[in-house]
Amino acid sequence: MEFTIRAANVDDCKDIARMITELAEYEKAIDQVRITQKDLEQDGFSKNPFFHAIIAEVPEQHKMQEGHTKVGYALYYFSYCSFRGRAVFMEDLYVMPEFRGKGIGKALMSKVAQLGLAAGCQQLNFTVLNWNKSSLDFYLNQGCTDTTAETGYHYMCCKGEALEHLAQP
Amino acid sequence: MNYKIRAARKEDCKDIARMIMELAVFEKMPDQVKISYQELERDGFCQNPFFECLLAEVSDEQISKCGHTVVGYALYFYTYSTWKGRTVYIEDLYVMPEFRGNGIGKSLMSKVAKIAVEKQCVRLQLSVLDWNSQARDFYAAKGAEDLTDSQGWHFIRFDGLSLDNLVKEAPQD
Repeated sequence: MEFTIRAANVDDCKDIARMITELAEYEKAIDQVRITQKDLEQDGFSKNPFFHAIIAEVPEQHKMQEGHTKVGYALYYFSYCSFRGRAVFMEDLYVMPEFRGKGIGKALMSKVAQLGLAAGCQQLNFTVLNWNKSSLDFYLNQGCTDTTAETGYHYMCCKGEALEHLAQP
Repeated sequence: MNYKIRAARKEDCKDIARMIMELAVFEKMPDQVKISYQELERDGFCQNPFFECLLAEVSDEQISKCGHTVVGYALYFYTYSTWKGRTVYIEDLYVMPEFRGNGIGKSLMSKVAKIAVEKQCVRLQLSVLDWNSQARDFYAAKGAEDLTDSQGWHFIRFDGLSLDNLVKEAPQD
């Protein structure tokens, strides 16, 4: 199937918001999504964006019944490893179920890696849920390392009241 | 003990590099440190910095055994949750062993939290090694949730050869 990968622009935010919701449903966490299309426009397309995104698009003749031609995305940002330097973190990688198995996910991830390397990054990092076997297998087949399983890194989060309390002097 | 927390300046990068190595030794990974103070200068103090850094500094009277007054740091950067929005990630939080137990670690972490909340971040995240029970207890006491334990999140990394192989398969523009 023909598809293109391109940088997202502010007009893509409606579709990105749609696909974020679809991914959250898949990750059994739809009730956790608070972000809106407007948040994405503000945070991704202002002077100092919090993230960057790329979109996978199919030609009109391949679009689904609902009319979507934007069928996948990767959302990423630059991070830093104090041991090794610049890194890129891929926050989301998603392809609509009807368009899977055609290399779109792999193309999106490779593109993020390429963009990261071009920016001087030496690592591409992301997280995956341990029960998501098909995703884990997909990534491990590309030669990555599960640093939680291998080295014991645990992912910690402070939010809500705990964060407010911590922010007090 | 008197100390102050301040934003790092470019000229602090030698101290930051020193403390990164000290932290790596503690985490049993000194061979993984490849960074130089010049890279920290380039990446932390350019127009679009890859990170920000806070330092803990003591007065000259409290100088460390090795002659340092910069005795702790927190290195962090802004990230994004597609569920919640703006977030901050603390990459490193470190206090030299002889200065621990004086609230410096807590002050560094709180200052990062304060800066983050002012920038409308809704989460502060970090990672900790499973065997580091002192750090895990420290963070748990601050109300941090262990998302690896509670939800099964794993960190995945591509670097070196695996990253190069991935890049080779990127579609042409």
